[in-house]
Amino acid sequence: MGIYAEPRVLPCGDLALSVELGDDINREVNARVLALEYLIQQRGLSGVTETVPSYRSLLVYYDPLIVGWDALRKSLHALWREARPEVLPRARTVEVPCCYEGELGFELEAAAEKIGLPADEVARLHADADYYVYFVGFTPGLPYMTGMPERIFIPRLVQPRLKTPPGSVSIGGIQCCIYSVESPGGFWVLGRTPLRLYDPESADPILLRAGDHVRFTMITRSEYDAIAAAVADGTYAPRVPVAP
Amino acid sequence: MNLLIHAAGPQTTVQDLGRRGALRTGIPPSGPMDREAFLLANRLVGNADDAAALECTLIGPRFELADARWVAVTGAAMPVTLNGAAMPRWAAFEVKPGDTLRLGPAASGVRAYIAVSGGIDTPPALGSRSTYLRGQLGGHQGRALRKSDVLPLGPSSGGAPAEVLHRFIPDYTQATTVRVVLGPQDDRFTERGIAALFEAPYEMTPQSDRMGARLRGARIEHTQGHDIISDGVALGGVQVVGDGQPIVLLADRQSTGGYTKIGTVCSFDIGRVCQVKPGQRLSFTRVTVAEAHELLRTHRAGLDHAIHWEETP
Repeated sequence: MGIYAEPRVLPCGDLALSVELGDDINREVNARVLALEYLIQQRGLSGVTETVPSYRSLLVYYDPLIVGWDALRKSLHALWREARPEVLPRARTVEVPCCYEGELGFELEAAAEKIGLPADEVARLHADADYYVYFVGFTPGLPYMTGMPERIFIPRLVQPRLKTPPGSVSIGGIQCCIYSVESPGGFWVLGRTPLRLYDPESADPILLRAGDHVRFTMITRSEYDAIAAAVADGTYAPRVPVAP
Repeated sequence: MNLLIHAAGPQTTVQDLGRRGALRTGIPPSGPMDREAFLLANRLVGNADDAAALECTLIGPRFELADARWVAVTGAAMPVTLNGAAMPRWAAFEVKPGDTLRLGPAASGVRAYIAVSGGIDTPPALGSRSTYLRGQLGGHQGRALRKSDVLPLGPSSGGAPAEVLHRFIPDYTQATTVRVVLGPQDDRFTERGIAALFEAPYEMTPQSDRMGARLRGARIEHTQGHDIISDGVALGGVQVVGDGQPIVLLADRQSTGGYTKIGTVCSFDIGRVCQVKPGQRLSFTRVTVAEAHELLRTHRAGLDHAIHWEETP
């Protein structure tokens, strides 16, 4: 379990390959994925057109008429040797306000019952944890995170719901995510943030990035409404990353 | 210097070659579903390859132009009329202000492209004019076109009569075979499962869209379930979920996913997948990465010789 001794390079058609660095979800493997991506960006690897990090692998898009399979494998392997977490710039910590009340946290009661703790205790345990963003994907801006205490781990919904409101803060298994656009979902919705994880009107439409730390701050319904209104007006200035 | 939509058709969008670099934030590239037909339309009217054009789905729009432009229509066989008179497809022709251009329902194929000299000049979003419908991003207000929309056009540098050589015009009524490189998760399928993908054709279903082509056919058998630790999804990824049916992931795909991908359709065959109508069938054949790269080289070189330029009188 953990980090492979050598990376696995898997073909993904004629224009992409996947570099797989480990066999499970852990921060150490993921930090190496992000470090490999960072080094590719820094060095401007010839022929690489785009990269997509995920838990334990990096999808690398390339132009085979500029760089061949063997040459690309070799240069990725060389970068992999250097790809240690220390090469990454210092991580951001982003504060995400979250309201766990009423219809905004419409599955909190049911989740608490399944977990076997009072609802306010589940909300408090969820809000007190430090979360790490492994990567952002599936839909625009959706962060894949872990960090909850084991006491509130919960199996995913048996029957995924068809529509989840954007901003829904949700848990399933060991993971926590925030839905970024209205989409189907298999995680339990504990609360909602008034922030926009994805804002197509903005020049910088994505709130969270791979490698970020997230802290939830518990807010009341009236605070939620006030922030939501400010976000809608464009007067909610801080997507404030705070220093760790 | 603009294009006025009189009737839009069911899903007409502005597309350029796509958005690069945003996949790592979950925003797909978008861009034309049939890249070859799109490129040829642009080249016919003298545009750069990355100029924005219209992608029409099943039925095209009716529109007019505010000034004289060269226009070319490629892709799905939608009959083209100019003020009611039939016009050639896969060829450049001149359109005068006040002329009405109309594309009818596709006799074969699914997606047609309309390029106008000068290109569509809607404001780029994250470096691209491509429309990402689910994310309401790019194109014209992030959505499919509607009646009365007015699209700005870029400055036209004129044009000349030109046509695509006959042998480069696909026949969408014919059964299609597309090439697949195995991986990244072919090791999660049984030998019988892999053989099934390449044996008999699969039928396109009506649930297909710009995200993915959902196919129906022989069940593709897994060794140990269809869930994986979520990873990146390449263009053309052939995802197989619990029901054993393949989904080919396309221009507006999810950036990452938690399901096994048995193989990946080669980039140069994606356009053919996107022209298969619901109910029509397509087959898969297997190639190695090295073969795929050689085929890509030949394919790109071929495209550079696909257009015949008539000498201007």
